[in-house]
Amino acid sequence: MSDAIHLERLHYRAGKNFEIPNLDLHVPSGSIYGFLGPNGSGKTTTIRLILGLLRPLSGRIAVLGLPMPEQHAQVLGRVGYVPEQPHLDATLTVRELIDFQAAFYPRWDRARAEELVGRFELDGDHLFGRLSKGQKAKLMILLALAQCGDLLVLDEPTDGLDPVVRRDILSALITYVSERGATIFISSHLVHELERVCDWVAVMDEGRLITEAPMEKLKHGTKRLVVTGAPAEVVNPPFRLLTRESANGGGPGENWVVGDWEAGMTSYFEGVGASVRDVIDLDLEDGFVELLRSFREGRARR
Amino acid sequence: MRAMFRAILHSQWKWSRLIVVLGTVAAFAIPLLSLQGAARADRGAPQAQELLRAVQSWGTLYPLLATALGLLMAIAAWAPDHRGRHIHALTLPVERWRYVLLRFGAGFVLLAAPIAAVLIGSSLAVLTATLPPGLQAYPIALAMRFAFAVFVAYAVFFAVSAGTARTAGIVLGVIAALILVQVVASIASIDLNLVNAAQTVLLLGPGPLAVFSGRWMLVDV
Amino acid sequence: MFHGIDPRSPIPLYVQIAERVRLAIATGTLGSAAPLPSVRQLAAELRINPATVIQAYKDLEAQGFVEIRHGAGTFVRELAPGRRARERSQQAVALVRKLLADARRSGVSLAELQRALETELGAKTT
Repeated sequence: MSDAIHLERLHYRAGKNFEIPNLDLHVPSGSIYGFLGPNGSGKTTTIRLILGLLRPLSGRIAVLGLPMPEQHAQVLGRVGYVPEQPHLDATLTVRELIDFQAAFYPRWDRARAEELVGRFELDGDHLFGRLSKGQKAKLMILLALAQCGDLLVLDEPTDGLDPVVRRDILSALITYVSERGATIFISSHLVHELERVCDWVAVMDEGRLITEAPMEKLKHGTKRLVVTGAPAEVVNPPFRLLTRESANGGGPGENWVVGDWEAGMTSYFEGVGASVRDVIDLDLEDGFVELLRSFREGRARR
Repeated sequence: MRAMFRAILHSQWKWSRLIVVLGTVAAFAIPLLSLQGAARADRGAPQAQELLRAVQSWGTLYPLLATALGLLMAIAAWAPDHRGRHIHALTLPVERWRYVLLRFGAGFVLLAAPIAAVLIGSSLAVLTATLPPGLQAYPIALAMRFAFAVFVAYAVFFAVSAGTARTAGIVLGVIAALILVQVVASIASIDLNLVNAAQTVLLLGPGPLAVFSGRWMLVDV
Repeated sequence: MFHGIDPRSPIPLYVQIAERVRLAIATGTLGSAAPLPSVRQLAAELRINPATVIQAYKDLEAQGFVEIRHGAGTFVRELAPGRRARERSQQAVALVRKLLADARRSGVSLAELQRALETELGAKTT
């Protein structure tokens, strides 16, 4: 089985204003897959569709090889989910929540749960409602990890948490991946965190997938070029032209932001009588911003 | 399955233990209170009438208690899930119908306590009372009727409560509409008694809700 | 040894890790037969993808610096004596290349760079 999550021609609509028209997504097994996008882009909705909490209007969803939402009971036994908002009962204690969860998952790893209670410094007798935001997040992650699933789906797991808690959570996730070879699907807008950890990344905006690529390709393929003498029309470039504007301070050249860049593509410019003065590396956050900008301009023009 | 049921039972117990305890105490007390007059030695026919009146008037508390227990247990079963918008329950590896059934069963197991309390309380009341001649005691029939009433009330309110907020809203909306129409009709002096009609249809007609109407007599002729 | 790994740098993470290990081997910080941190430990400590660490170690093995023993870990290989010296000079060349590229980008001329170098070296010896 090559894909842990496979979405094909997914169509979903909620109300008049929000629509996911046609989504194709493939999360390779064993990967750490980052799902980026601004607020309101449809990330949480996509996750809910994947987990069977929402039903699509049309299209195919397969999680761990099984169709969703038809086989949700079987699939969810192998999926650990951490939602954006704490979803556990505030009147139960940490210990009670752990015991409750353990009863539902045949693969529950009691030793790992205990180890994480210690590592996360959680007190078994504290009520969930009384825990701090960071402790709640840690408990939800603990439950997802102790379930020993083959897939972890995390919706903004470290958002709003202090750096110490974020480190603890990331370390625990990475340890889990090293030991079990699970697939992790993380949606986040903390680009820098995803940058260290993900080997695949997808960007979503306004219900559409802008790009889905291996992290290295997206990160190192996005460059800022200083170009002089380029013609007005760009015909069939080997790279993906994201934005193009004149240089600051009235300098002679233009600033181009391109994607899918590879070394040697400078020959294209020579072919059209232009020249590339400089190739500047962009980190993932800059690349992400430029991608969004070009995508939105493209949609506005239409 | 057993582990899942135990887990659900534990959480439901935690949410509803106050209701169960209070309900059990009340269920135990009502039969004893209804027969408190019968502990006195000298009894004749007029005392029998008095006793029957006391039993009947205390007896009106049984359907009220059954309804209250059914309603509160149904709410307690679902309120925490509603608060979390059911996300936790829906992402557990169980079919929805199985989960709903487990919750229903757990609530019913907990309701065994007040039902048993009615049986024990009424048996105890009958044992310690001296009944005037011509009167019989029906503790078991009473307890069984109470059990049935509790079951019906719990089932009805559970069904409403387990639905989405939209379903609950629809039910409440229908009730509110009935009341509104009734009020308008009485203002316009139109002779329309919807509440009575509803009562007749729901409670007096043949059907499970009929268990609530009529007299609840621990002791009768 | 690994602090300062920069995920935002254009140099891929696995290359950065492999470089650090090579430097440590070249300078003797990591002696022969010394163990490298386990994949799980290093990945969790640096909060990076374990696959990245695995790739770095595999590259180092392909280059002949380490030996991956399944189940036991990754260990530094016994190196031919000239190898360490060669590695060090390669590191020096890389540093100089980077310096020259930065200078070019900031508009510092070669002469200015040379003068600065002499000043700094002179300052060190006095």
